[in-house]
Amino acid sequence: MAHILLVEDSPEVSMSVREILISAGHSVEEAANGQVGLSLLKGGSKFDIVITDIWMPEMDGIAFLKQVRSAGNKIPVVVISGGAPNAPLTYTAPLASTFGANVVVYKPFEKEELLKAVADVLG
Amino acid sequence: MPARAKTLKRARQRKVAPIRLRKPASRRFAERFSLEFFADQIAAAIVVIDDRGKVVFANAKAYGLLRLAPSAVLDEPPSGLIRICYDRARQRAPQGEPLVFENYFAGRWFEVQAYRIGQDLPSQGGPYLLISLADISDRKRREFDTLENMAGLEEATRIAQMGTFRIDHTTHEIQWSPHMYILHGVTPERFRPTLNAYAALVYPEDREIVARNMALEGASYEGGFQYRIVKPDGALRWVNLDRRVLFDTDGEPYGVFGTVQDITETKQREQELQRLLRRNAILYEALEASPIGVGVLSAEDEKPQFIYVNTAFQETTLHSVDTLNPRGIVSLAAGPGSSEWQQVNGAIESSQSLSIELDCVRSDGAVFPALIEIAPVRDHPGKPASAFVINVRDLTADRQRAAVFLQSQKMEALGQLSGGVAHEINNLLQPVIALSDLGRDAVTADPPRAARYLQVIGNSGRKARDIVRQVLTFARRDSPQLGEFELVPLVEDAINLAHKGVPPGMEIVFSVEGRGFKAVCSPTQVSQVVLNLIRNAVDAMNGIGTVEVALRRREILESGEQIKGLDPGTWFELSVKDHGCGIDETTRARVFEPFFTTKPVGKGTGLGLSVVYSIVTGWGGTVEIDSQVDVGTRVMLYIPEAGSDSEQKPLEHAEGN
Repeated sequence: MAHILLVEDSPEVSMSVREILISAGHSVEEAANGQVGLSLLKGGSKFDIVITDIWMPEMDGIAFLKQVRSAGNKIPVVVISGGAPNAPLTYTAPLASTFGANVVVYKPFEKEELLKAVADVLG
Repeated sequence: MPARAKTLKRARQRKVAPIRLRKPASRRFAERFSLEFFADQIAAAIVVIDDRGKVVFANAKAYGLLRLAPSAVLDEPPSGLIRICYDRARQRAPQGEPLVFENYFAGRWFEVQAYRIGQDLPSQGGPYLLISLADISDRKRREFDTLENMAGLEEATRIAQMGTFRIDHTTHEIQWSPHMYILHGVTPERFRPTLNAYAALVYPEDREIVARNMALEGASYEGGFQYRIVKPDGALRWVNLDRRVLFDTDGEPYGVFGTVQDITETKQREQELQRLLRRNAILYEALEASPIGVGVLSAEDEKPQFIYVNTAFQETTLHSVDTLNPRGIVSLAAGPGSSEWQQVNGAIESSQSLSIELDCVRSDGAVFPALIEIAPVRDHPGKPASAFVINVRDLTADRQRAAVFLQSQKMEALGQLSGGVAHEINNLLQPVIALSDLGRDAVTADPPRAARYLQVIGNSGRKARDIVRQVLTFARRDSPQLGEFELVPLVEDAINLAHKGVPPGMEIVFSVEGRGFKAVCSPTQVSQVVLNLIRNAVDAMNGIGTVEVALRRREILESGEQIKGLDPGTWFELSVKDHGCGIDETTRARVFEPFFTTKPVGKGTGLGLSVVYSIVTGWGGTVEIDSQVDVGTRVMLYIPEAGSDSEQKPLEHAEGN
């Protein structure tokens, strides 16, 4: 069972994702944006995996990912995205290669889709 | 004279005996010494030549002039100067009166008088030709000097800036008139005119042509040329030199005489004229090359006439000046009676400028949309135009491009709309799907948990409903019932609502000028509009400052200040002003587009201003934005007064159907 950092600004989405993960036996810490996520990563907890949204206030998912990777952190990352309000829907496609996300899961997803992605990145 | 007659005359001449003076002649013969004595006393040279062309008498002066002994002169044909005078006088000397002329020979001037004498005494060997030559060189020189020194001539040459000169190549003497010195900026005291000294005054490049024309060889008999001189003070002047070669009596050239005139100003005018002509030629070529149709309509006559149309004008209209002129500019009118063409005629009649889009017809009958611009050309300000510049541009291609552009913008807007809606809805669907799934197991196992899930699912559903409502408001498929409402309390309510979301450092003030702001609108929409504008203002100001909301009455008259898109009448101006970051030009062009936003992700949907615009145009009003980067933004809503004319006809929304 993994300890997971969940970075998501929408409380409803965050809650529903947390519930999915907990139902599968994982433990979850939540962050409302990338800034909070970074401080949790630097803090005492040891995370096995990061799940992050893209469009968030303060620090968005892309900036967050860049900082994680530039700090040399190779932790597996699952991106959950609802598509971009001001960008083509395909924008998230190069996320994996460019920003080091391991998997992208598009909202709204089924419970099984997310859990499979988490299992895949955990290996 | 026929050859035979000549022969006869010669034969007769041969028969005539040598002159023998008879009694009256012998008496004169007796007085011969006295005759010669007197003849020798007078200053003139006297020579008598008989009709055979032989000299029969000459006085001492004549011998001196000819530098010949009497034996070489008498009974011989005349030579030298006498010959020249004889040839000239023989043919032309009249009866009775002497022929008088002046002749220049070997550096001296002579006054020549030729008398035909003994005409009625052929028996005495007549007729004879008596030639007297008086040396008048001194007098001529004095005349010349006098002429040049005469105040009048001096004044004339000064006005004409003309000097005269004479070069005698036999004596190497150069004479300059006083004005020559003035002209060249030198004085007779300090400058002695010699060919070399003169060359120094000539612009180096022009020295050769001057030297060639001052010399005798190679120069044509007479003519003129222009060259530059450099005065001792450094001034460069253009002069014109006209000169003729002087010939002695033998026909030999010996000198040059001429005039020099300063033509600098003329030359400058000439160069200026050349520049003007060149510029005109360039202007003409530029007009011809212009991609915009340009025509010139002259209003000099009763009926305005085209005097010029450029190539683009001809290509656009398939008309030339000739085909246009019978009817004038109306030749281009697709519908001559249309209000646009009446405006064109009105502009020409009243000498006004005009820029108008209208339908034009080509000479082949094809109709095209065009932009016609008319600019009056006035000789004097305030006077009616003497001509008009008429620009014609075919707008067909522009219209097509605009249509394509509009279409692509629509597609882009649609993409943004669907992308934005999709993102919002996808996020809201996430808990609906996930929690309903998880909740199914919790219903029996953990009812409180299931209840929490259902709460979140319900909230998400309602948020999705609000999004859809905003989209529909934007698309105006959902029109709320409009009614007559007083704006002030509605705006106040909205401001009170807005206060809750405003950071502590910020303030919202509301000022109302006047009373009675009844408009046809809906309370929810007023609230939506005001909240949207205040939200934008707050976001622009970074949490500090005052948002100023103001409501006032604006009377738009036929004449006076106009506001784009507003008909004359009473309008309410509801404005929201911030002192925030402002909006740049590029952004301003797009602020009414749905889902267009400059805000950071998570702040605003990008629907705000497009919803405001959609609502206000739905009331028959309009939205204006006045903004300066880093100074602030003022958004003004113009809302028609209930019951006024403007309210009767709500503006058609551009995207509506």
